[in-house]
Amino acid sequence: MTAVAIALVVLATLLIGARGVAAIRSTPDFLVASRRISPTLNAAAVSGEYLSAASFLGVAGLVVKDGIGALWYGVGFTAGYIAMLALVAAPMRRTGALTVPDFAEARLGSAGLRKLSAVAVLVIATLYLVPQFKAAGLVLTVVSGTPYWVGVVVAGTAVSITLALGGMRAATYVQAFQFGLKLLLFIVPAIWLVLQVSPDTRREALSPVEFTRFERPTPVEFRLDVELTITEPTPVTISGQAPRVLPPGEYPAEAGSTWTFAEGAAVPGVQGALPPGGPGWSRPLLDPNDAGYPLLATLSVLVATVLGTMGLPHIIVRFHTSADGRGARRTAAITVALLSAFYLFPVVYGLLGAVLLPELFLSAGTDTVVVALPARVDSGWVGSLFTALLSAGAFAAFLATSLGLLLALSGAVSHDLLPGATVRRLRFTTLGAAVCVVALALPSAYLDVGVLVTSAFAVAASTFCPLLVLGIWWSRLTAPGAIVGMVVGLVSSAGVIGLGFFLAPPPGLVAILLGQPALWSVPLAFVTMVLVSLGGRPPAWANAAMLRLHLDETERRRR
Amino acid sequence: MTRQRRVAVASPQTRLALARRRTGVRADLPHLPHLPHLAPADLERARRMHRAQLRRALVAVALLAALIIGLPALLAVLPWLDEVRIAGVAVSWLAVAVLPYPALVLLARWQLRRAEQVERSGGEP
Repeated sequence: MTAVAIALVVLATLLIGARGVAAIRSTPDFLVASRRISPTLNAAAVSGEYLSAASFLGVAGLVVKDGIGALWYGVGFTAGYIAMLALVAAPMRRTGALTVPDFAEARLGSAGLRKLSAVAVLVIATLYLVPQFKAAGLVLTVVSGTPYWVGVVVAGTAVSITLALGGMRAATYVQAFQFGLKLLLFIVPAIWLVLQVSPDTRREALSPVEFTRFERPTPVEFRLDVELTITEPTPVTISGQAPRVLPPGEYPAEAGSTWTFAEGAAVPGVQGALPPGGPGWSRPLLDPNDAGYPLLATLSVLVATVLGTMGLPHIIVRFHTSADGRGARRTAAITVALLSAFYLFPVVYGLLGAVLLPELFLSAGTDTVVVALPARVDSGWVGSLFTALLSAGAFAAFLATSLGLLLALSGAVSHDLLPGATVRRLRFTTLGAAVCVVALALPSAYLDVGVLVTSAFAVAASTFCPLLVLGIWWSRLTAPGAIVGMVVGLVSSAGVIGLGFFLAPPPGLVAILLGQPALWSVPLAFVTMVLVSLGGRPPAWANAAMLRLHLDETERRRR
Repeated sequence: MTRQRRVAVASPQTRLALARRRTGVRADLPHLPHLPHLAPADLERARRMHRAQLRRALVAVALLAALIIGLPALLAVLPWLDEVRIAGVAVSWLAVAVLPYPALVLLARWQLRRAEQVERSGGEP
């Protein structure tokens, strides 16, 4: 049933893609729907494009893994639109620029800055895409029982075919419909779950206790290789072999094996994860792996998500379908309300998951908690139905976001980095990008969807946020200042995240500053841009180039 | 009935290239789509708008910062909020799971109104 539901989602997207072919005439048509749309519809489309697999699956998964503090992700994802509303939406729309590289050239007249911005788009889109493919692969894996790589390749194929047949982007109403679909597929199962579980479960969900012993015979399916640390003799049945008692020690659990722990057995330890329900877990601050700096970790996630939203390539393009600056501003404001409705619900899945499926933390499978819950609550057809609905919703979220991001990515390559774009080459670049992302998603199985997406936000916040904010509000910004600031921002975000990934420092201050650098990299990029700009002189037309972004349409219409 | 201005949807780069081919203008100067330069009246109005909008935007961003920095800081220094419960739910959980959203919606609405009000009054105080 679940496979059927996902197939329906893919088929619908394919049909829409096929219908879109006739509408595509030129590159701008492919990149944005040329029609002008009401702010409410556009806000629904923005939300539809924005709510990715990271929101649909990742936030609830992080709640199970890291605790209540993970809910700050949802707050940051929503609050980003207020920064956008106040600082960027209307002036950005008035530039007529479709992308940040376009903006960079229109405002500062520098082809070099355009290329640099395109490189930043490339980095952001890749960091954002890899976790989407990981999540989609994981969902398919859970649903069909195939190995992880099959899921990722199938997801990549579905996206590629859709793109080859035509950009889904041509139709804003499709994205708006996608938002409604996702909201429905997320909220209805959540309400059903709350009503379905016993009052005891509901009480436990609100007063969690640490997961130290298995309360029932618990099968744990390992889809990846995991190293388990057993501290007391533990009765376990491994993949249908005879039951045995494992003495304390380190044990490798191979991908594909199923370990069934006996009732009352102690929960083994896993490198890099803590059992749900512990003392740090129920604190409302983010403290992954009990690193000891909860406030710092929480704020760095918030800074990255709030300031990064304005630089997301697939979102900026959406604002261009507003009629004018005022429409773009209204779109941002309505988007805050729509996203608020959605982000009230991940907590339901997270809390119920921590009580009913705490063992997911053992198999690095917390990202699957949303789709795994219905079957745990109801083993009959109703449970299967809700699993199918949630899987379809997750896959829809994956498709909507990935298509938008792949288009933005290939747009940056074929439009900004190489001169003279054609529709044909745009399609080929898109397919090439999809293949690269699939190749990157295969080894990323162990990385958390929500954390990877936050890295993309951190890069956007450290590069595009200073460029847009200073470009829109400060006439003394110069092209060299913007270039140096962007390079510093790019190195101190993407470079440092990469460095932290390879060094793998132990949990603590260093790990937070390297893994979530936004707290220091964003101010650094701002300061660099300002100081270098002050050292030079902006051209004579810079003042007019900035001020015209603030000249509203009411005045122009009157004449 | 007000007629919507029709604007060609093409990237500035495309416009730049087209303009260059037609007129042979230097490529290093940006040829901005609507107003390559501002008329004196527009310039004055744009200056007023810029100043007024910047002030309002900064206030909104400051309030946003107060919310998303202040709330986690408050929860960090007041751990006893974990123990206080409303209808069985810890207050500190409500503070991250529910409370921020209505606050954000209100802030968005407020800032939107103020920004549009500036445009109606033409940036005059």
